[in-house]
Amino acid sequence: MIRELYRTITSLTELNGFIPLWRRPIALVAVISTPFSFLFFIYLFGGPSKILIGAIGGILFTIVNASTMLQTDLLFYKLDLKFQQVVASTPINPLIYVFGLATGNIVFTLPGLAIFMGIIVYESHIGVLQILSVIGTLIMTWVIFSMFSFLVSTRVREMRDIWPISVMFSIIFGVVPPIYYSISVLPAPVEYFAYIVPTTWAAILLKGIVIHDFAGVALPALVFLVEMFCVLGFTSQFSDWRHNRS
Amino acid sequence: MPIPLESNSLKKIYRNKGRTTTAINNFTFSVKDKGVFSLLGRNGSGKTTFVKVSTTQLTPDDGYVRVFGKDVVNDEKELRHMISLVPQESRPFPHMTPYEHVYLFQKMNGKTREESKDRAESVIGLLGMEDFAKVECVNLSGGQKQLTMVAMALSLDAQIYFLDEPTIGLDIITRKRVWNAINKYRNAGKSIFLTTHYLDEAAILSDEIGIVSHGNFIKQGTLDELRSGLEYDTRVAIRGRTDAKDFEQYGRVYSHERSTVIFTNQENVEKILSDSSVRKERIEIGPVGLDDVFISLVGEDIEVDEN
Repeated sequence: MIRELYRTITSLTELNGFIPLWRRPIALVAVISTPFSFLFFIYLFGGPSKILIGAIGGILFTIVNASTMLQTDLLFYKLDLKFQQVVASTPINPLIYVFGLATGNIVFTLPGLAIFMGIIVYESHIGVLQILSVIGTLIMTWVIFSMFSFLVSTRVREMRDIWPISVMFSIIFGVVPPIYYSISVLPAPVEYFAYIVPTTWAAILLKGIVIHDFAGVALPALVFLVEMFCVLGFTSQFSDWRHNRS
Repeated sequence: MPIPLESNSLKKIYRNKGRTTTAINNFTFSVKDKGVFSLLGRNGSGKTTFVKVSTTQLTPDDGYVRVFGKDVVNDEKELRHMISLVPQESRPFPHMTPYEHVYLFQKMNGKTREESKDRAESVIGLLGMEDFAKVECVNLSGGQKQLTMVAMALSLDAQIYFLDEPTIGLDIITRKRVWNAINKYRNAGKSIFLTTHYLDEAAILSDEIGIVSHGNFIKQGTLDELRSGLEYDTRVAIRGRTDAKDFEQYGRVYSHERSTVIFTNQENVEKILSDSSVRKERIEIGPVGLDDVFISLVGEDIEVDEN
Protein backbone atom coordinates (compact mmCIF):
# COMPACT_ATOMS: atom_id res chain seq x y z
CA MET A 1 0.00 0.00 0.00
CA ILE A 2 2.71 2.48 1.02
CA ARG A 3 4.84 1.43 -1.94
CA GLU A 4 1.91 1.89 -4.32
CA LEU A 5 1.26 5.34 -2.89
CA TYR A 6 4.93 6.18 -3.31
CA ARG A 7 4.79 5.08 -6.96
CA THR A 8 1.67 7.16 -7.57
CA ILE A 9 3.24 10.26 -6.06
CA THR A 10 6.61 9.89 -7.77
CA SER A 11 5.05 9.27 -11.17
CA LEU A 12 2.94 12.41 -10.83
CA THR A 13 6.00 14.33 -9.65
CA GLU A 14 7.88 13.09 -12.69
CA LEU A 15 4.97 14.05 -14.96
CA ASN A 16 4.56 17.58 -13.57
CA GLY A 17 8.10 18.29 -12.42
CA PHE A 18 11.13 16.45 -13.71
CA ILE A 19 10.00 15.76 -17.30
CA PRO A 20 8.82 19.32 -18.08
CA LEU A 21 11.85 20.78 -16.29
CA TRP A 22 14.19 18.56 -18.29
CA ARG A 23 12.51 19.45 -21.58
CA ARG A 24 11.66 23.12 -20.86
CA PRO A 25 14.23 24.41 -18.34
CA ILE A 26 13.28 28.00 -19.21
CA ALA A 27 10.27 27.57 -16.88
CA LEU A 28 12.75 27.66 -14.01
CA VAL A 29 13.44 31.30 -14.72
CA ALA A 30 9.74 32.18 -14.72
CA VAL A 31 9.19 30.71 -11.26
CA ILE A 32 12.08 32.40 -9.49
CA SER A 33 12.41 35.66 -11.40
CA THR A 34 9.86 37.64 -9.35
CA PRO A 35 11.25 36.91 -5.86
CA PHE A 36 14.79 37.55 -7.07
CA SER A 37 13.65 40.84 -8.61
CA PHE A 38 12.13 41.82 -5.25
CA LEU A 39 15.38 40.89 -3.53
CA PHE A 40 17.32 43.01 -5.99
CA PHE A 41 15.14 46.08 -5.39
CA ILE A 42 15.21 45.58 -1.63
CA TYR A 43 19.00 45.49 -1.77
CA LEU A 44 19.03 48.52 -4.06
CA PHE A 45 16.84 50.71 -1.88
CA GLY A 46 17.36 49.18 1.57
CA GLY A 47 21.02 48.33 1.45
CA PRO A 48 22.80 45.17 2.64
CA SER A 49 21.01 45.25 6.01
CA LYS A 50 17.72 44.40 4.32
CA ILE A 51 19.06 41.38 2.43
CA LEU A 52 17.88 38.98 5.13
CA ILE A 53 14.30 40.27 5.11
CA GLY A 54 14.39 40.14 1.31
CA ALA A 55 15.55 36.51 1.37
CA ILE A 56 12.87 35.49 3.92
CA GLY A 57 10.26 37.22 1.78
CA GLY A 58 11.72 35.62 -1.34
CA ILE A 59 11.65 32.08 -0.01
CA LEU A 60 8.06 32.49 1.16
CA PHE A 61 6.93 34.23 -2.00
CA THR A 62 8.51 31.49 -4.13
CA ILE A 63 6.51 28.80 -2.35
CA VAL A 64 3.25 30.78 -2.41
CA ASN A 65 3.72 31.69 -6.05
CA ALA A 66 4.54 28.14 -7.18
CA SER A 67 1.65 26.63 -5.19
CA THR A 68 -0.75 29.22 -6.58
CA MET A 69 0.42 28.52 -10.11
CA LEU A 70 -0.54 24.88 -9.55
CA GLN A 71 -4.17 25.83 -10.14
CA THR A 72 -3.38 26.62 -13.77
CA ASP A 73 -1.77 23.21 -14.26
CA LEU A 74 -4.63 21.43 -12.53
CA LEU A 75 -7.21 23.21 -14.60
CA PHE A 76 -5.34 22.58 -17.85
CA TYR A 77 -5.14 18.87 -17.02
CA LYS A 78 -8.82 18.84 -16.15
CA LEU A 79 -10.38 20.91 -18.93
CA ASP A 80 -8.02 20.68 -21.87
CA LEU A 81 -6.44 17.26 -21.51
CA LYS A 82 -9.33 15.57 -19.61
CA PHE A 83 -6.62 13.85 -17.57
CA GLN A 84 -8.55 14.42 -14.35
CA GLN A 85 -11.37 12.28 -15.78
CA VAL A 86 -8.91 9.50 -16.49
CA VAL A 87 -7.52 9.66 -12.95
CA ALA A 88 -10.95 10.06 -11.37
CA SER A 89 -12.02 6.74 -12.86
CA THR A 90 -9.07 4.97 -11.20
CA PRO A 91 -8.58 4.23 -7.49
CA ILE A 92 -6.14 7.15 -7.17
CA ASN A 93 -7.12 9.41 -4.28
CA PRO A 94 -7.60 13.08 -5.28
CA LEU A 95 -5.40 14.34 -2.46
CA ILE A 96 -2.61 12.00 -3.55
CA TYR A 97 -3.08 13.27 -7.10
CA VAL A 98 -2.69 16.88 -5.95
CA PHE A 99 0.18 15.99 -3.64
CA GLY A 100 2.06 14.34 -6.52
CA LEU A 101 1.48 17.21 -8.93
CA ALA A 102 2.27 19.82 -6.25
CA THR A 103 5.54 18.05 -5.51
CA GLY A 104 6.28 18.23 -9.22
CA ASN A 105 5.63 21.96 -9.13
CA ILE A 106 8.06 22.40 -6.25
CA VAL A 107 10.82 20.81 -8.34
CA PHE A 108 10.94 24.04 -10.36
CA THR A 109 11.50 26.13 -7.24
CA LEU A 110 14.25 24.02 -5.68
CA PRO A 111 17.21 25.99 -7.10
CA GLY A 112 15.62 29.28 -6.00
CA LEU A 113 14.75 27.93 -2.56
CA ALA A 114 18.30 26.66 -2.12
CA ILE A 115 19.76 30.08 -2.97
CA PHE A 116 17.37 31.92 -0.63
CA MET A 117 18.04 29.40 2.14
CA GLY A 118 21.77 29.87 1.65
CA ILE A 119 21.39 33.64 2.00
CA ILE A 120 19.23 33.24 5.12
CA VAL A 121 21.67 30.88 6.81
CA TYR A 122 24.65 33.02 5.83
CA GLU A 123 23.06 36.26 7.03
CA SER A 124 21.43 35.02 10.24
CA HIS A 125 23.75 32.18 11.33
CA ILE A 126 20.73 30.11 12.41
CA GLY A 127 21.20 26.59 13.74
CA VAL A 128 19.87 23.22 12.54
CA LEU A 129 16.69 23.45 14.61
CA GLN A 130 15.82 26.82 13.11
CA ILE A 131 16.61 25.57 9.60
CA LEU A 132 14.28 22.62 10.14
CA SER A 133 11.60 24.97 11.47
CA VAL A 134 11.94 27.15 8.38
CA ILE A 135 11.56 24.06 6.18
CA GLY A 136 8.53 22.94 8.23
CA THR A 137 6.90 26.36 7.80
CA LEU A 138 7.53 26.25 4.06
CA ILE A 139 6.01 22.76 3.80
CA MET A 140 2.90 23.90 5.66
CA THR A 141 2.64 26.94 3.37
CA TRP A 142 2.99 24.66 0.35
CA VAL A 143 0.24 22.34 1.64
CA ILE A 144 -2.14 25.23 2.32
CA PHE A 145 -1.75 26.90 -1.07
CA SER A 146 -1.68 23.66 -3.04
CA MET A 147 -4.99 22.78 -1.41
CA PHE A 148 -6.36 26.22 -2.28
CA SER A 149 -5.26 25.66 -5.86
CA PHE A 150 -6.95 22.28 -5.96
CA LEU A 151 -10.16 23.69 -4.54
CA VAL A 152 -10.22 26.49 -7.10
CA SER A 153 -9.36 24.17 -10.00
CA THR A 154 -12.23 21.83 -9.20
CA ARG A 155 -14.69 24.72 -9.11
CA VAL A 156 -13.65 26.67 -12.19
CA ARG A 157 -15.39 25.53 -15.36
CA GLU A 158 -13.51 27.48 -18.02
CA MET A 159 -9.80 27.86 -18.69
CA ARG A 160 -10.01 31.60 -19.34
CA ASP A 161 -11.44 32.19 -15.84
CA ILE A 162 -8.28 30.96 -14.17
CA TRP A 163 -6.00 33.79 -15.34
CA PRO A 164 -7.66 36.59 -13.34
CA ILE A 165 -8.17 34.25 -10.38
CA SER A 166 -4.54 33.25 -10.46
CA VAL A 167 -3.33 36.87 -10.55
CA MET A 168 -5.76 37.84 -7.77
CA PHE A 169 -4.54 34.95 -5.61
CA SER A 170 -0.95 35.90 -6.22
CA ILE A 171 -1.64 39.47 -5.03
CA ILE A 172 -3.84 38.53 -2.05
CA PHE A 173 -1.60 35.75 -0.83
CA GLY A 174 1.81 36.83 -2.07
CA VAL A 175 1.97 40.62 -2.17
CA VAL A 176 -0.53 42.12 0.32
CA PRO A 177 0.51 40.02 3.36
CA PRO A 178 3.47 41.40 5.29
CA ILE A 179 6.07 39.20 3.70
CA TYR A 180 8.57 41.97 2.97
CA TYR A 181 7.57 44.36 5.77
CA SER A 182 6.19 44.41 9.31
CA ILE A 183 2.46 43.89 9.77
CA SER A 184 2.36 46.92 12.08
CA VAL A 185 2.80 49.31 9.13
CA LEU A 186 -0.58 48.31 7.73
CA PRO A 187 -3.63 50.50 8.48
CA ALA A 188 -5.99 48.90 11.03
CA PRO A 189 -8.69 47.39 8.73
CA VAL A 190 -6.09 45.95 6.35
CA GLU A 191 -4.13 44.62 9.32
CA TYR A 192 -7.19 42.67 10.53
CA PHE A 193 -7.70 41.31 7.03
CA ALA A 194 -4.03 40.35 6.81
CA TYR A 195 -4.39 38.18 9.91
CA ILE A 196 -6.89 35.99 8.05
CA VAL A 197 -4.44 35.32 5.24
CA PRO A 198 -2.25 32.26 5.94
CA THR A 199 0.79 33.92 4.37
CA THR A 200 0.79 36.46 7.20
CA TRP A 201 1.25 33.73 9.78
CA ALA A 202 3.89 32.06 7.68
CA ALA A 203 5.75 35.38 7.45
CA ILE A 204 5.41 36.01 11.20
CA LEU A 205 6.66 32.49 11.86
CA LEU A 206 9.64 32.75 9.53
CA LYS A 207 10.66 36.15 10.87
CA GLY A 208 10.27 34.82 14.42
CA ILE A 209 12.42 31.79 13.68
CA VAL A 210 15.15 33.62 11.78
CA ILE A 211 15.27 37.18 13.11
CA HIS A 212 13.32 37.62 16.32
CA ASP A 213 12.63 35.31 19.23
CA PHE A 214 12.63 31.62 18.28
CA ALA A 215 10.99 30.73 21.61
CA GLY A 216 8.12 33.10 20.86
CA VAL A 217 6.92 31.38 17.69
CA ALA A 218 4.74 28.82 19.46
CA LEU A 219 1.52 30.85 19.11
CA PRO A 220 1.89 31.75 15.43
CA ALA A 221 2.94 28.15 14.76
CA LEU A 222 -0.22 26.91 16.44
CA VAL A 223 -2.43 29.36 14.55
CA PHE A 224 -0.74 28.39 11.28
CA LEU A 225 -1.19 24.69 12.01
CA VAL A 226 -4.88 25.20 12.77
CA GLU A 227 -5.23 27.18 9.54
CA MET A 228 -3.61 24.34 7.61
CA PHE A 229 -6.04 21.76 8.98
CA CYS A 230 -8.97 24.12 8.36
CA VAL A 231 -7.88 24.50 4.72
CA LEU A 232 -7.50 20.72 4.38
CA GLY A 233 -10.96 20.15 5.83
CA PHE A 234 -12.48 22.94 3.76
CA THR A 235 -10.91 21.55 0.58
CA SER A 236 -12.03 17.99 1.15
CA GLN A 237 -15.53 19.27 1.90
CA PHE A 238 -15.99 21.72 -0.94
CA SER A 239 -13.78 20.53 -3.77
CA ASP A 240 -15.65 19.15 -6.76
CA TRP A 241 -13.19 16.49 -7.87
CA ARG A 242 -15.68 14.46 -9.82
CA HIS A 243 -17.22 17.17 -11.93
CA ASN A 244 -20.77 18.22 -11.04
CA ARG A 245 -21.57 15.45 -8.58
CA SER A 246 -24.93 16.87 -7.64
CA MET B 1 -21.16 -13.99 -12.53
CA PRO B 2 -22.75 -10.53 -12.65
CA ILE B 3 -23.50 -9.08 -16.06
CA PRO B 4 -21.05 -6.48 -17.45
CA LEU B 5 -23.40 -3.51 -17.42
CA GLU B 6 -26.89 -2.74 -16.28
CA SER B 7 -28.68 0.59 -16.36
CA ASN B 8 -32.13 1.00 -14.89
CA SER B 9 -34.32 4.12 -15.21
CA LEU B 10 -31.18 6.20 -15.23
CA LYS B 11 -31.71 9.94 -15.13
CA LYS B 12 -29.11 12.68 -15.05
CA ILE B 13 -29.81 16.38 -14.94
CA TYR B 14 -27.15 19.09 -15.18
CA ARG B 15 -27.75 22.18 -13.10
CA ASN B 16 -25.85 25.34 -13.86
CA LYS B 17 -26.67 28.86 -12.67
CA GLY B 18 -30.36 28.09 -12.24
CA ARG B 19 -30.63 26.32 -15.60
CA THR B 20 -31.32 22.64 -15.81
CA THR B 21 -30.58 20.35 -18.72
CA THR B 22 -31.75 16.77 -18.78
CA ALA B 23 -28.84 14.88 -20.30
CA ILE B 24 -30.33 11.44 -19.62
CA ASN B 25 -34.04 11.03 -19.22
CA ASN B 26 -34.35 7.26 -19.14
CA PHE B 27 -31.63 4.76 -19.94
CA THR B 28 -32.84 1.26 -19.21
CA PHE B 29 -30.80 -1.51 -20.77
CA SER B 30 -28.32 -4.21 -19.94
CA VAL B 31 -25.23 -5.68 -21.52
CA LYS B 32 -25.56 -9.35 -20.67
CA ASP B 33 -22.43 -10.78 -22.25
CA LYS B 34 -18.81 -9.79 -22.40
CA GLY B 35 -17.57 -8.40 -25.69
CA VAL B 36 -18.04 -5.11 -27.47
CA PHE B 37 -21.14 -3.02 -26.86
CA SER B 38 -21.47 0.16 -28.91
CA LEU B 39 -23.70 3.04 -27.96
CA LEU B 40 -24.87 5.14 -30.89
CA GLY B 41 -26.65 8.43 -30.80
CA ARG B 42 -26.52 11.92 -32.13
CA ASN B 43 -24.56 14.67 -30.39
CA GLY B 44 -26.16 15.55 -27.07
CA SER B 45 -28.12 12.33 -26.83
CA GLY B 46 -26.54 11.37 -23.47
CA LYS B 47 -23.73 9.00 -24.51
CA THR B 48 -20.88 10.82 -22.79
CA THR B 49 -22.95 11.52 -19.71
CA PHE B 50 -23.67 7.82 -19.48
CA VAL B 51 -19.95 7.04 -19.71
CA LYS B 52 -19.28 9.58 -16.96
CA VAL B 53 -21.92 8.06 -14.72
CA SER B 54 -20.63 4.55 -15.39
CA THR B 55 -17.06 5.56 -14.59
CA THR B 56 -18.12 7.11 -11.25
CA GLN B 57 -17.57 10.71 -12.27
CA LEU B 58 -21.19 11.77 -12.10
CA THR B 59 -23.88 10.76 -9.67
CA PRO B 60 -27.24 9.79 -11.17
CA ASP B 61 -30.30 11.81 -10.19
CA ASP B 62 -32.45 8.74 -10.40
CA GLY B 63 -32.11 5.07 -11.26
CA TYR B 64 -28.87 3.12 -11.13
CA VAL B 65 -25.97 1.78 -13.14
CA ARG B 66 -24.20 -1.41 -12.15
CA VAL B 67 -20.94 -2.55 -13.67
CA PHE B 68 -20.29 -6.24 -13.06
CA GLY B 69 -22.78 -5.98 -10.23
CA LYS B 70 -21.09 -2.99 -8.60
CA ASP B 71 -23.24 0.06 -8.13
CA VAL B 72 -21.59 3.24 -9.45
CA VAL B 73 -22.57 5.13 -6.30
CA ASN B 74 -22.45 2.63 -3.45
CA ASP B 75 -19.52 0.52 -4.68
CA GLU B 76 -17.56 3.24 -6.43
CA LYS B 77 -14.21 2.44 -4.80
CA GLU B 78 -14.31 -1.24 -5.79
CA LEU B 79 -15.58 -0.33 -9.21
CA ARG B 80 -12.61 1.90 -9.98
CA HIS B 81 -10.36 -1.15 -9.81
CA MET B 82 -12.38 -2.74 -12.61
CA ILE B 83 -12.70 0.02 -15.19
CA SER B 84 -10.60 2.04 -17.59
CA LEU B 85 -11.55 5.12 -19.59
CA VAL B 86 -10.72 7.08 -22.71
CA PRO B 87 -12.65 10.33 -22.20
CA GLN B 88 -14.17 12.12 -25.14
CA GLU B 89 -11.86 14.75 -26.68
CA SER B 90 -9.00 13.91 -24.35
CA ARG B 91 -5.44 14.83 -25.25
CA PRO B 92 -2.01 13.72 -24.06
CA PHE B 93 0.50 15.91 -22.22
CA PRO B 94 2.36 17.91 -24.90
CA HIS B 95 5.75 17.58 -23.20
CA MET B 96 5.64 13.80 -22.79
CA THR B 97 6.10 10.91 -25.20
CA PRO B 98 3.47 8.20 -25.75
CA TYR B 99 5.77 5.72 -24.02
CA GLU B 100 6.04 7.97 -20.97
CA HIS B 101 2.26 8.30 -20.85
CA VAL B 102 1.71 4.58 -20.65
CA TYR B 103 4.71 3.94 -18.39
CA LEU B 104 3.82 6.66 -15.89
CA PHE B 105 0.13 5.78 -15.95
CA GLN B 106 1.08 2.26 -14.96
CA LYS B 107 3.31 3.52 -12.15
CA MET B 108 0.59 5.91 -11.07
CA ASN B 109 -1.65 2.92 -10.63
CA GLY B 110 0.83 1.23 -8.34
CA LYS B 111 2.84 -0.94 -10.72
CA THR B 112 6.58 -1.42 -10.27
CA ARG B 113 9.09 0.09 -12.67
CA GLU B 114 9.63 -3.27 -14.42
CA GLU B 115 5.91 -4.03 -14.66
CA SER B 116 5.23 -0.55 -16.03
CA LYS B 117 8.02 -0.88 -18.58
CA ASP B 118 6.81 -4.28 -19.78
CA ARG B 119 3.23 -3.15 -20.00
CA ALA B 120 4.13 0.04 -21.85
CA GLU B 121 6.18 -1.86 -24.42
CA SER B 122 3.44 -4.45 -24.88
CA VAL B 123 0.64 -1.91 -25.47
CA ILE B 124 2.81 0.27 -27.69
CA GLY B 125 3.51 -2.86 -29.78
CA LEU B 126 -0.14 -3.88 -29.81
CA LEU B 127 -1.19 -0.53 -31.25
CA GLY B 128 1.75 -0.32 -33.66
CA MET B 129 3.08 2.87 -32.08
CA GLU B 130 6.79 1.95 -32.05
CA ASP B 131 7.74 4.58 -34.65
CA PHE B 132 6.62 7.53 -32.57
CA ALA B 133 6.60 6.07 -29.05
CA LYS B 134 9.54 8.22 -27.97
CA VAL B 135 8.54 11.44 -29.71
CA GLU B 136 7.11 14.30 -27.64
CA CYS B 137 3.35 14.49 -28.15
CA VAL B 138 3.56 18.15 -29.14
CA ASN B 139 5.18 16.94 -32.37
CA LEU B 140 2.65 14.18 -33.12
CA SER B 141 -0.35 14.20 -35.44
CA GLY B 142 -3.88 14.32 -34.07
CA GLY B 143 -4.32 10.61 -34.75
CA GLN B 144 -1.09 9.67 -32.96
CA LYS B 145 -2.15 11.75 -29.96
CA GLN B 146 -5.51 10.01 -29.87
CA LEU B 147 -3.78 6.65 -30.10
CA THR B 148 -1.70 7.63 -27.06
CA MET B 149 -4.88 8.12 -25.04
CA VAL B 150 -6.19 4.75 -26.18
CA ALA B 151 -2.88 3.11 -25.26
CA MET B 152 -3.05 4.57 -21.76
CA ALA B 153 -6.54 3.21 -21.20
CA LEU B 154 -5.78 -0.21 -22.65
CA SER B 155 -2.66 -0.51 -20.51
CA LEU B 156 -4.78 -0.99 -17.40
CA ASP B 157 -5.84 -4.50 -16.52
CA ALA B 158 -9.52 -3.62 -16.34
CA GLN B 159 -12.59 -5.80 -16.73
CA ILE B 160 -14.41 -3.22 -18.80
CA TYR B 161 -12.99 -0.43 -20.96
CA PHE B 162 -15.11 2.65 -21.56
CA LEU B 163 -13.97 4.18 -24.82
CA ASP B 164 -15.78 7.44 -25.54
CA GLU B 165 -15.30 8.13 -29.24
CA PRO B 166 -11.77 6.71 -29.20
CA THR B 167 -11.23 6.77 -32.95
CA ILE B 168 -12.42 10.27 -33.63
CA GLY B 169 -10.02 12.03 -35.97
CA LEU B 170 -8.10 8.88 -36.85
CA ASP B 171 -7.43 7.87 -40.43
CA ILE B 172 -8.75 4.50 -41.54
CA ILE B 173 -5.40 2.69 -41.13
CA THR B 174 -5.02 3.94 -37.56
CA ARG B 175 -8.66 3.20 -36.82
CA LYS B 176 -8.05 -0.38 -37.91
CA ARG B 177 -5.14 -0.62 -35.47
CA VAL B 178 -7.49 0.40 -32.68
CA TRP B 179 -10.10 -2.08 -33.94
CA ASN B 180 -7.51 -4.86 -33.87
CA ALA B 181 -6.59 -3.98 -30.31
CA ILE B 182 -10.26 -3.92 -29.31
CA ASN B 183 -10.76 -7.33 -30.92
CA LYS B 184 -7.77 -8.73 -29.07
CA TYR B 185 -9.17 -7.48 -25.76
CA ARG B 186 -12.57 -8.92 -26.63
CA ASN B 187 -10.99 -12.27 -27.46
CA ALA B 188 -9.17 -12.13 -24.13
CA GLY B 189 -12.53 -12.04 -22.37
CA LYS B 190 -12.69 -8.31 -21.66
CA SER B 191 -15.71 -6.07 -22.07
CA ILE B 192 -15.58 -2.92 -24.13
CA PHE B 193 -18.17 -0.18 -23.98
CA LEU B 194 -17.76 2.00 -27.03
CA THR B 195 -19.41 5.21 -28.08
CA THR B 196 -18.87 6.26 -31.66
CA HIS B 197 -20.29 8.26 -34.51
CA TYR B 198 -18.77 5.89 -37.05
CA LEU B 199 -21.56 3.47 -37.85
CA ASP B 200 -19.25 1.22 -39.87
CA GLU B 201 -17.05 0.92 -36.80
CA ALA B 202 -19.99 -0.08 -34.62
CA ALA B 203 -21.17 -2.57 -37.26
CA ILE B 204 -17.75 -4.17 -37.59
CA LEU B 205 -16.75 -4.29 -33.94
CA SER B 206 -19.90 -4.74 -31.93
CA ASP B 207 -21.46 -7.85 -30.51
CA GLU B 208 -24.38 -5.67 -29.57
CA ILE B 209 -25.45 -2.13 -30.33
CA GLY B 210 -27.57 0.30 -28.34
CA ILE B 211 -29.21 3.36 -29.81
CA VAL B 212 -30.06 6.46 -27.81
CA SER B 213 -31.86 9.66 -28.71
CA HIS B 214 -32.64 12.83 -26.77
CA GLY B 215 -31.64 11.25 -23.45
CA ASN B 216 -33.68 8.09 -23.94
CA PHE B 217 -32.48 4.58 -24.65
CA ILE B 218 -34.37 3.53 -27.79
CA LYS B 219 -33.29 0.09 -28.85
CA GLN B 220 -30.63 -2.58 -28.50
CA GLY B 221 -29.66 -5.73 -30.30
CA THR B 222 -27.18 -7.34 -32.65
CA LEU B 223 -26.84 -5.76 -36.06
CA ASP B 224 -29.13 -8.42 -37.55
CA GLU B 225 -31.72 -7.93 -34.84
CA LEU B 226 -31.72 -4.19 -35.40
CA ARG B 227 -32.00 -4.65 -39.16
CA SER B 228 -34.86 -7.12 -38.82
CA GLY B 229 -36.74 -4.61 -36.72
CA LEU B 230 -36.96 -2.29 -39.68
CA GLU B 231 -40.03 -2.04 -41.87
CA TYR B 232 -37.87 -2.58 -44.96
CA ASP B 233 -35.04 -4.98 -45.68
CA THR B 234 -33.54 -3.58 -48.86
CA ARG B 235 -31.96 -0.34 -49.86
CA VAL B 236 -32.01 0.84 -53.47
CA ALA B 237 -29.82 3.83 -54.24
CA ILE B 238 -30.12 5.66 -57.54
CA ARG B 239 -27.45 8.15 -58.57
CA GLY B 240 -28.46 11.19 -60.57
CA ARG B 241 -31.73 13.03 -61.00
CA THR B 242 -34.93 11.02 -60.59
CA ASP B 243 -38.49 11.76 -59.71
CA ALA B 244 -39.05 10.54 -56.17
CA LYS B 245 -42.80 10.27 -56.69
CA ASP B 246 -42.25 7.36 -59.10
CA PHE B 247 -40.98 5.21 -56.23
CA GLU B 248 -43.16 6.20 -53.28
CA GLN B 249 -45.43 3.21 -53.83
CA TYR B 250 -42.53 0.84 -53.03
CA GLY B 251 -41.51 2.18 -49.64
CA ARG B 252 -39.85 5.14 -47.99
CA VAL B 253 -38.01 7.45 -50.35
CA TYR B 254 -35.32 10.03 -49.61
CA SER B 255 -34.63 12.15 -52.63
CA HIS B 256 -32.06 14.79 -53.30
CA GLU B 257 -30.79 16.66 -56.29
CA ARG B 258 -28.17 14.06 -57.15
CA SER B 259 -29.49 10.90 -55.56
CA THR B 260 -32.52 8.98 -54.45
CA VAL B 261 -32.61 6.27 -51.80
CA ILE B 262 -35.54 3.89 -51.58
CA PHE B 263 -36.04 1.71 -48.53
CA THR B 264 -38.16 -1.17 -49.65
CA ASN B 265 -38.57 -4.92 -49.46
CA GLN B 266 -36.81 -7.51 -51.61
CA GLU B 267 -39.94 -8.43 -53.56
CA ASN B 268 -40.26 -4.86 -54.85
CA VAL B 269 -36.76 -4.67 -56.30
CA GLU B 270 -37.65 -6.30 -59.62
CA LYS B 271 -40.63 -3.97 -60.02
CA ILE B 272 -38.49 -0.93 -59.30
CA LEU B 273 -35.96 -2.05 -61.87
CA SER B 274 -38.57 -2.75 -64.54
CA ASP B 275 -40.65 0.37 -63.86
CA SER B 276 -37.66 2.62 -63.74
CA SER B 277 -36.31 4.30 -66.78
CA VAL B 278 -33.03 4.77 -64.95
CA ARG B 279 -29.98 3.07 -66.38
CA LYS B 280 -29.00 -0.03 -64.40
CA GLU B 281 -25.42 1.13 -63.76
CA ARG B 282 -26.79 4.04 -61.77
CA ILE B 283 -28.59 1.73 -59.37
CA GLU B 284 -27.07 0.07 -56.29
CA ILE B 285 -29.02 -2.57 -54.38
CA GLY B 286 -28.14 -3.94 -50.96
CA PRO B 287 -29.51 -4.89 -47.58
CA VAL B 288 -30.30 -2.07 -45.15
CA GLY B 289 -27.30 -1.21 -43.02
CA LEU B 290 -26.75 0.14 -39.56
CA ASP B 291 -26.89 3.68 -40.88
CA ASP B 292 -30.39 2.98 -42.17
CA VAL B 293 -31.40 1.56 -38.80
CA PHE B 294 -29.90 4.59 -37.10
CA ILE B 295 -31.66 7.04 -39.39
CA SER B 296 -34.97 5.29 -39.05
CA LEU B 297 -34.72 5.30 -35.24
CA VAL B 298 -33.21 8.66 -34.41
CA GLY B 299 -32.68 10.64 -37.54
CA GLU B 300 -36.04 11.50 -38.90
CA ASP B 301 -34.73 14.92 -39.85
CA ILE B 302 -31.37 13.77 -41.19
CA GLU B 303 -30.82 14.38 -44.83
CA VAL B 304 -29.62 11.46 -46.91
CA ASP B 305 -26.84 12.40 -49.26
CA GLU B 306 -25.41 9.72 -51.44
CA ASN B 307 -22.42 11.85 -52.37
